[in-house]
Amino acid sequence: MQWSSTEQQGCVVASPDGRVDEATAEAFTEHLAASVTMAADSPGKKLIVDFAGLDYMSSRGLRALTLAKRQADAAGVAMALARPNEVMREILAISRYDKLFAVTDSIEAAI
Amino acid sequence: MLVRFWGTRGSLPVAATASIVQDKVAHALLAASGRSFADIEEARSFARNELDFATSGTFGGATTCVEIEAGDPANGDPYIICDMGSGLRGFGLDAMRRCGQGHARVYHFFMSHLHWDHIMGFPFFVPAFDPNAHIIIHAGHEDAEEALRRQQEEISFPVKFDWLRAKIEFRTLKVGETYQIGAVQVELMEQHHSHSSFGYRFTDAEGKVVVFSTDSEHKMDRMEGEADVEQFFGNADLVICDTMYSLADSVSMKEDWGHSSNIVAIDLCHGGRAKRLALFHHEPVYSDADIARMHAESVRYEELTREHDPLEVLCAYDGLEVSL
Ligand SMILES: [Zn+2]
Ligand SMILES: [Zn+2]
Repeated sequence: MQWSSTEQQGCVVASPDGRVDEATAEAFTEHLAASVTMAADSPGKKLIVDFAGLDYMSSRGLRALTLAKRQADAAGVAMALARPNEVMREILAISRYDKLFAVTDSIEAAI
Repeated sequence: MLVRFWGTRGSLPVAATASIVQDKVAHALLAASGRSFADIEEARSFARNELDFATSGTFGGATTCVEIEAGDPANGDPYIICDMGSGLRGFGLDAMRRCGQGHARVYHFFMSHLHWDHIMGFPFFVPAFDPNAHIIIHAGHEDAEEALRRQQEEISFPVKFDWLRAKIEFRTLKVGETYQIGAVQVELMEQHHSHSSFGYRFTDAEGKVVVFSTDSEHKMDRMEGEADVEQFFGNADLVICDTMYSLADSVSMKEDWGHSSNIVAIDLCHGGRAKRLALFHHEPVYSDADIARMHAESVRYEELTREHDPLEVLCAYDGLEVSL
């Protein structure tokens, strides 16, 4: 799994790439945790997970997002999901994760 | 092998109210507007073939009870039943009818656990009053007998357990063992649930496999343990799985309530390369339309995340029969 992080207007933007399934869920979880820690030290105290490069995600990835959200809540970090593709949008709706997370069409909207 | 669902609801039995039935009739009339029917048979055929299931039918409201018909019942193979929810009453009446036609009066029960929704049918199980019946209750729990006796104490029910006329035995099964019981081989798996629960894997002589896994929470902080669950579901012809909540509910408000989601059930079946999944232990507050929507979404999720052969996603309802 490819993973890059940048800082935009004080917020951490984390961009995973590929898909999150059984094989990659662990790496995804670890990258997410590191990104939350990074966001806790950023001025904006916000983590935006950029979904643009993600093909799809199984329940492992979704539950990793919940674990990261817990860590973020405890550290006072806000978390948002940006730019999901059509498949990811459907998965977020079917799992009702669109009710647990703010989901936006662009990075700017999440900032 | 044939699987018959006698009760598919979780937690509490429910029944349709007058307004729910009126709503179904109104929808059916709308769908049929402009048409006329020569007789009741033609109208029935329209209801069966052209209306959606949530309009023409219902998922039902009896709590969990599933019958597995294996081997050759005409030649003495015994009944196999998972759980004793309120759906057991209907099974008991039908079993008496079949016993009248020569079916063996031997009943092997396999208990997921002893919560009320999974045992409440037993006081209404007519074969328990049959002096020629032999009832063997298998459980992973050692306190199955205590649970069944307690619900027939006078404070809860007028007929005491000791007044039942059938020969009733309790057997505790162990994880890791394989048992030959009736026409099936049985293995069990311990699951995460309040006071624990057990999943069962049944294999018949032809190698057909049914897994019964209800009231099982797959915890977020123990995802590595799911490989064992996938193995238990491995290549099953049918997995009956607790899919009571949405994934979001199961990790937030309803975390630790002991139940699973459609999404996790599909992932586990995909991981185990199971052939069919039956969504089960339906949330009692869900309407037929809600359950039908959850089913359609589950089918879609399976499609979106499929990497190997398709997994057929069924939605269990009271009265469903699946032959394998
Ligand atoms: Zn239950
Ligand atoms: Zn339970």
